[in-house]
Order: sequence, then C-alpha cells, then structure tokens
Amino acid sequence: MGNEPFFFGIRHLSPAGAFYLRRFLDEKRPKMVLVEGPDDLTDMLVHLQNPDTKPPVAVLAYTKEAPVRTILYPFAEYSPEYQAVLWCGENGAECRFIDLPTEVFLALPSVEEASQGEEERFLVYRALDRRTGEDGHETFWERTMEQAGSAEGYHQGANLFGKSLRELTQGKDSDWEEILLREAWMRKQIREALGDGISPEEIVIVTGAYHVEGLKGWAQEPSQEEKERLCHLPRVSANHTLMPYSDYRLSSRSGYGAGNKAPAYYALLWKALLHHAPMETAYHYLSRIAGYQRNSGSPVSSASVIEAVRLSYELARLRGGRIPALRDLRDAAVTCLGGGDMASVSLAVADTEIGTKIGSLPEGVSRTSIQEDFYRQLKELKLEKYRDITAQDLALDLREKRNVVTEKSAFLDLHRSFFLHRLRVLGVSFVNEKKRQQENATWGEQWVLRWTPEAEIELVEAALKGDTIVQAAAFHMKEQADNAGSLPLMAQMIEDSFLCGMPAAAVYATDMLAQRSVDAVSLEELAGTIQRLSAVIRYGGIRQVDDAPLLPILEKIFYRACLLLSGACLCDDNASGAVADAMQQINAAALSHDFLNEEAWLSALWQVADRDDLNAKLSGFAAAILLERGQMNTERLKREVLRRLSFGTPAELGAGWFEGLAMKNRYALIARLSLWESLDNYLEGLDEEAFKRALVFLRRAFADFGAKEKDEIAENLGEIWNLNGSQVSEAVNGALGEKEMELVESLEDFDFDL
Amino acid sequence: MEQNNVQRLPAEQLFQKEIDALIAAEKDPVPTGWRMSPRSVRTYICGGKVGGMEITPKYIGQERLVEIAIATLVTDRALLLIGEPGTAKSWLSEHLSAAINGDSTKVIQGTAGTTEEQIRYSWNYAMLIAQGPSLGAMLKSPVMTAMETGTIARVEEISRCASEVQDALISILSEKRISVPELNMEVPARKGFSVIATANTRDKGVNEMSAALKRRFNIVVLPSPADLEAEMEIVRTRVEQQAGNLDLNAALPAEEVVEKVCTVFRELRNGETLDRSQKVKTTTGVLSTAEAISLLCNSMALAGSFGNGQIADSDLAAGLQGAVVKEEEKDSLAWKEYLENVMKKRGSRWSGLYRACKELNQ
Repeated sequence: MGNEPFFFGIRHLSPAGAFYLRRFLDEKRPKMVLVEGPDDLTDMLVHLQNPDTKPPVAVLAYTKEAPVRTILYPFAEYSPEYQAVLWCGENGAECRFIDLPTEVFLALPSVEEASQGEEERFLVYRALDRRTGEDGHETFWERTMEQAGSAEGYHQGANLFGKSLRELTQGKDSDWEEILLREAWMRKQIREALGDGISPEEIVIVTGAYHVEGLKGWAQEPSQEEKERLCHLPRVSANHTLMPYSDYRLSSRSGYGAGNKAPAYYALLWKALLHHAPMETAYHYLSRIAGYQRNSGSPVSSASVIEAVRLSYELARLRGGRIPALRDLRDAAVTCLGGGDMASVSLAVADTEIGTKIGSLPEGVSRTSIQEDFYRQLKELKLEKYRDITAQDLALDLREKRNVVTEKSAFLDLHRSFFLHRLRVLGVSFVNEKKRQQENATWGEQWVLRWTPEAEIELVEAALKGDTIVQAAAFHMKEQADNAGSLPLMAQMIEDSFLCGMPAAAVYATDMLAQRSVDAVSLEELAGTIQRLSAVIRYGGIRQVDDAPLLPILEKIFYRACLLLSGACLCDDNASGAVADAMQQINAAALSHDFLNEEAWLSALWQVADRDDLNAKLSGFAAAILLERGQMNTERLKREVLRRLSFGTPAELGAGWFEGLAMKNRYALIARLSLWESLDNYLEGLDEEAFKRALVFLRRAFADFGAKEKDEIAENLGEIWNLNGSQVSEAVNGALGEKEMELVESLEDFDFDL
Repeated sequence: MEQNNVQRLPAEQLFQKEIDALIAAEKDPVPTGWRMSPRSVRTYICGGKVGGMEITPKYIGQERLVEIAIATLVTDRALLLIGEPGTAKSWLSEHLSAAINGDSTKVIQGTAGTTEEQIRYSWNYAMLIAQGPSLGAMLKSPVMTAMETGTIARVEEISRCASEVQDALISILSEKRISVPELNMEVPARKGFSVIATANTRDKGVNEMSAALKRRFNIVVLPSPADLEAEMEIVRTRVEQQAGNLDLNAALPAEEVVEKVCTVFRELRNGETLDRSQKVKTTTGVLSTAEAISLLCNSMALAGSFGNGQIADSDLAAGLQGAVVKEEEKDSLAWKEYLENVMKKRGSRWSGLYRACKELNQ
C-alpha cells in the first residue's frame, strides 16, 4: 500500500516518543504533519513555534458563557506533539491539528464523572501491573518504551501497545462514544488534507498510539449516518489562549495525556536522549538528589552516589533492563543516600522528580486582554518578581512617600494595594491577604503572593467579566451587589470597592444599599452596615477615594437604626446579646461621626433605658451607654437603681437589669458608692425566696468581674457596712466553706420557674 | 536419617530440593561466586514455579525490598537489614546466603561480648605456644573464611557489638582484605565475598553504628507487615512450617484464631484499633510477628499436651497474657483497658477469649 500516510503512534509526554518522532520526521521529510489536537487551535502553532516560548505551556480553551468549562492541553518540551510542531516550523512543513475543535469538546457531555476505577482500561493497566510485578504501568511503559533502542522499536512497540489496549477495551469504557466521534472527525480531516493536493506518503500523522487503529480506515467513504453526525455536532462558543504551565501542575494532574508524575525526571530523560547518552539520566538524577541533600545539611559522599548508580543498574538488570528506570533510581537513592529511609530523602526526591520549572511566553503572545492587563500592571507596579511558584510575603505601606519625586512612586504601594485587592475580589489565587495584625494599622497591609498556573486559569476565567482587571472587578462587584442577600454583604461590597480604589463601584453598591435599606431589615443588619460604612469613611482617606456619596446613606441608615432600636429591645434573653452588640456598634459610629443625628440616638437610648416593658438587660445596657456618655448623672442613676430594684419587681428582672448595666464601664459603676448602697438595701429587703432568685442572677452579672474589680466592690461594701475592706475582700474572693457549699447545693433544688 | 534429629536444620538443607531445582533450571548469567542468578535468588525468596516445582515463598512482604537486597549483593556491597524485632531480618539474611552460596552457616552472633578476634582471626593458643605462629595454629573467623572462599558472611545484631568490634569491619569492607602480621601475609577477598548484617531498631543507642561503617552498607529497612491479611499469611505459613518440625500433636490453628492473635498484636503495636476509630494504649513489648508465631506454637503445644488438640480460648489467653504483659503493672493495666474497651465490645465471636483473658489478667 504505497498510498498510505505514515502513522506515528505516541504516548503523550514521552521523551523517547518525541526523540524518535523527530528522527522519523528527519528521515521521511513529510510536507505535512497532522497532530492530534483540536483543529481550531491551529492558529496557536505559530506561537508554539516561537523560540521565546519556553515549555511547559498549555493551551486553555474555555466557554464564553457561564458556567465556565475549561479544557487544558499541556505541552512539555518532551511532548511528541510539541516537537512535531517545532519540527514543522524548522523545516517549512505544514502542520495542522486534526482533533475535534474545542467548541465541540466543551459542548460534549462530560465523561469525567465516571469513576476511574470502573473503567476497563484501568483494569487492563492493573492486570499489566500484576503481570510485570512493577509498581504501576508508568514503570512498565518506561522500561519497554522510553528505553526503546531505536525509532523502529518505539514505533512498533507503541503501535502494538495501542492496538492491544484497544482490542481489550473497545466499547467498554464510558468515553468510547467520544473516542469514535473524535476518530471519525480525524479521518475526515485526513481526507480533507489530502484534498489539498498532497499525496498520502507526504503526510505523517502523529496521534496517541491508541488511535492509530481507529484512523487507518481513513480512506473509506464514511456512512451517511456518520456524515450527518459530523455535520450536526453540538457546539458552544469558546475562546482559547496559550498560558505558561508548571512542572508542578504537570505532576499534579497526572493521568494519561494530562501530565505525568515526574516531569523533571522526564526532562532529564529528554536531555540524555538529545546527548545520545541514555545512561546519563541515572548520573544526573542521583547527583541532583545528593546535591539537594548536601544543601540541606546532610552530607552525602560521591562514593555513595557511585554505589547508588551501581545499585540502580543491578536493580534494572533484575528486571531485565539495561537502563535503570525511575523506580530503580529512587530505590537506589533511598537505599544508598537515605540510609534505607524514604523520609530522609523525600524532599530531594520530590525536588528532582517534580521540579519547579514554570514555562514562559513571549510578550503579547495569544493572551486574553485581561492577561495582557495583568502582566502590564505587574510590570508597572514592580511586582514581577512575585510571579513565582514559591510563596513570598509583601508588606505594603499605603501612606504617601514624601521623599520620592514622582507621584506615581509616592503612591506605589497604594496602587499595588488597589491592584491586589481587585485580584482578590476576582478570586485569583495569586494573592492572599494576611489578617491585619493591629486593628488600627490602616496604612499597612500584609500579602502573600504565590503564582500558580491555577491563578492564570482563574485570570482567564475572569476574562468573561471584562477586558481589563478593573472592568472585570467592577462587573464582578456589580453582580455581587445585585445578588447580595443582606445589607452587611452589600456594605462589604462597598468596603471592597474602596479597598480596590473603585469609587464608581462604591456608588453603585451604595445606591443598591439605599434602596434595600428601606425594606424590612433587622437592627443587627443595620448595625453591621453602619459599622462597615463607618470604617470606610474613617479610614478611606488614606486610599484617596472620595467618600462623599456614602455620607447621606450612612446618615439615613443610622436614623433608621435609631427608630428601630426600641422595637428590637423587645426580645428574650437569648436574642439580647446580638442586640447589645448592635447597640455597641451603632454607638461607636455615633461617637466617630458628628454628622450623624446624635439627638435621635440619645433619645432612643433614653427610651430603652426608661421603659419597663422591654428586655431588662438591654434597658440596663442602654443606661450603661448613657452613663458612659455622661448623659445620665449620679442622681438619675440612683433613682433608676432604686426603681429597678424596688420591691415588687420580680427579682430576675432587677438582676437582669443590673447585669446589663454592668456590661459596660464597670469602673464608673464601682466608683459610685451610692449605687452599692442601693443594691445593699435592695438585697437586705428581699425575703428568702426572692433572695435566692436574685442571687442567681446577680451571680451571673458579677461572673466575669475580675478579682481586682471584686476587690474594689468589696471595699465599697466594707465602707457601707463599716468594715475593713480587706476582710470583706477575703470573704468575697475566698473559697467557699463547708457550710456555704451546703447552702449552694441546696440552691440546686430551687425551682426557678415558680 | 541423622538429620531428622537435628532441632533446626540450616535453610540450605531444609530447602535443598528447591535450591537444586532452581540451579538445574538456571537460564540467566550467574555472578562469580554465586550458585544461581539474581533472578533465581528472587524466586527462591519470594516464591514461584520452576520446572514444575513449586517454590515456597520464604519472605512474605515487599518483593521490591528483596530485589534491592539481592542487587546490593551483586554489586559486592555489604547489606544491612534494619527493622523492628521480628521483621524477619535474620530469616531473610539466612535464606539469601543459603540461595547465593548454598551455605548460611558463616555467622557471627553480635553480642556485648563479641571481640575483634571473632571478626578477624584468633589462635589456637596451645599450638601457638608449641609451634609459634603458623597457618595451622590460626583460627579463622567466619568472615575470613568467607573472604577466602568468595562467599557471604553474616553478622547478626551488629549494633550490639561494641564500637571497636564494629570498626574492625570497616577496614574489611573497604580494603576487602585482612592482613595477618604474625605470618606476614594478607588474605584478600575473592570475588563473591560480601557481608549481610542485621540490626535492630529497638537497640538504637546501645551501640550506635558509626557513620563510617554505615556508609559501607546499603541499608534496607524491613517494615512490619503492611496489613492484617499480610501478617496473617506470614503467621499461618510459618506456624505450619514450625509445627511440622516440632511434632506438636495439635491441629493447626484455625483461621479465626490466627486472625484474633494478629488483630490483638497489630492493635496494641500501632496504638489504635484496626478500623482506626479508637486509640489503644501501647505496651512495652514489641509484639512482633515472630512473637505471634511463637505464641501460636506455644498454644498448640499447650493444646496438644494438656488439652484436646484444638487451641482453646484458655490456651490462647495464656499465650497472650505472657506476650503482652512484660512489665507487670503498666502492661497489665494497658491490657486490661484493651480487654474492656475494645475486645469486650467486639461481640460474641470474641466473648470466649475475652472472658479467658480477663480471668488471667487479675
């Protein structure tokens, strides 16, 4: 059959495949090379061929509309596909991708959900592992294929492997339909390529070994049904981009085609092949481990490395190999360099096998505009060195630097902060903000930056939201504001827009907030909002963002909160904690901003403090706030105490009130002798039943008083009872005696529900 | 035959037939000084089939570790097997030398009393005084004999030897010769000479091996059996073999008995229950697989001599009590806790053993 194109079956990410493929191409000198890869990515070939493109890189295809689905095609330097593409560039041959376009791939139902373990091919792999006694089919593949001695050997071996696997599994795996479809499409592409006036023997087809058998019938006219199917494939609109990839990610997505477990080791294999010295890998691998061990402080002699090399050769020979495989090398390293203990060399092994390499792309290559924007800003803000796989800390000082010339550099850190916050809002994992150490250090920010390919993917996903980072962030925040369920969430959006330096977004969110605040909301929500807005207004100055549009909103919400206060205080003790927090927050805002309606707030507090029908604890708390603000004088306080603790008022209400009062400014309370006098009188006047009842509540009120505070109270009481203060203190702070314990125990039987 | 009265035959005699079959079927190249190829050694240790003959597995565990051990010996490096007590270090060492040389008897047992002479050579003093230094008056150590014959010497429990004795090995392993100044001669090692040493991880610190000596060994760490099934398999095979040797007049332990012993041992050894749901106090003893084997043999002896030939719960309980409680008070408490918190709650299948154990552990 002279009129057949050449099929070169490969394994993805296979150094030997890449090496022998190149040799094969050199020999056959085809005019056209067809590569398994989505055919709409053919425009990427130029970029892949660009000498400034340094693998690992990946093509990322993603749907234009939500929900975003993505697929990745990673290329390492030793990917046969990548080398085929390069060869075409160097030798002026035409290169095409022939697999289903990404638009179709992304529209096909996802088959990933099927559990891997149930797939037939994994059963075949496992059977293979059992047969060979190796630790996995990776090792089998390495010993048989990667160590193949010739192009012919590799070629035949790969085809046989693909053919056998196909025979064993066909029709059984859940992606079989998809495979058939892809192969039909590839056959069509082959026919089309031939239609362009090239004869079959001038074509080399590079595909996974598995597909070779499926493509051989390319010359047959397809059935009507197949034609129909190919014409009516589902499609979604999709974009694609080239992105840098990393060794780490190649290793973490291991699985056929998507990656492998030891990318850096495979790169060593590739280098050794290029030097025509496959034995080199063992030397490099073991020396690198020894080097790593030395750097990390455990001495390793060259003699041990030599022993390790010898051991690895013997291990390979036991398995019938000439050259040690990764498994032999690792075991030799553990035995000779790690004293038999994997743990002592595991870091070195990870470093040598996985590596930290990140690919790079020439500037401007096939990036989405948002990536362009990201890299431009990275450069402008002098953050390029943080684009690294190792996490680095970055401390920002947002204040203006007065000792520099340009305004740009004076506010460099501020702009960095805007940039990082925008990325944070977009959910790009490149940035991580550390929790602020000091509550008030508003001019300082701590970040941890770590670049991973995931971050790049997240960035690309953000491209759906806008063409630049600012636009995308604005869109994202708008979306969030529209969907935000609660007021504090919206206030969070407002805070975010200030952190991002995006006043327009802040105004939008503020408007939304203004509309929503009219609806029925709880006091707690209002208070949370007030607190956030107040923070933005207080500290927004350092970010150079105009807060004017926020003021009327805050005023409005604040007033609303004042109106709602007494209603919210009509609650049980369980809910009172949250309300007290809210009161605290509102009060703090009232103290920080003089444009707020102070009068309304105070009158609301007075109302709560005076009313008897509200939660007694909250009434007490309102009184405490008024006391703290100097609104309530001693005379008034005393009167209030007498009233609240007067006979006839149920004891728990009185004690609850006192508990609320004691939640704030205790020293002010302690200092007021008259208060304790009233309390003393009150307790004296209670009958036994009521005393027991009050005791429990009062005990709770004083539970979190410190020893020093109790001391001072004791002193007060001592004065009232004309006793020595320290004696009283001793009695109050000391442990309970036996008789007292009995009394306390008798309280346990006391029925408080009466 | 006279052999039948020997309490314990060396491995090469016990498995003579298998070794012969492997040598007869040899297809791969045999290293100098070896009797079979590395692959055949692997088959001998890990089991397989040769020319219609079933080779029983001697070491049940990771085959890869055995490969590393064999490959080490091919490179004429010395091999150091490290592991907890009872992880088949000596067992593996004996079978390796039996397969490689057909002779596993060149052994030095490391003790606190081992001297340098026992590693190198010493003299028959009567002859030395009568004739002066001569080859005839020299007593060669197993190591020296191994060097002369190009075979493997075994050093058991190397970390128990004093460090100067250990150091005597350094020059032997690096120079590969022993000089005898008294006779003005040197004994070079022939090809095939190597040393297999074993050391106990529990003995660490007794006589820590020097870095210089460690560097001359390839170290293989033998782990405790990975899971219950593996451990049960080891115990079952070894108990069968031993029981055959000892004529115990008792039935082999039932599957359930083996499972119970292995479960108790593993749980106490690892400090948690097999399903990892509960923490368990560990005991001072090692509770190795080897101990499980001897415990079962013991129980068989008890059942054979005083019982009905079937291992009863009371036989097992006696064995467990002895194995678990090494330091009276502490272990007894841990054992009690285990019985109450774990075994008691296991239901009827365990209740007989629980009662028997509880009775003994007062």
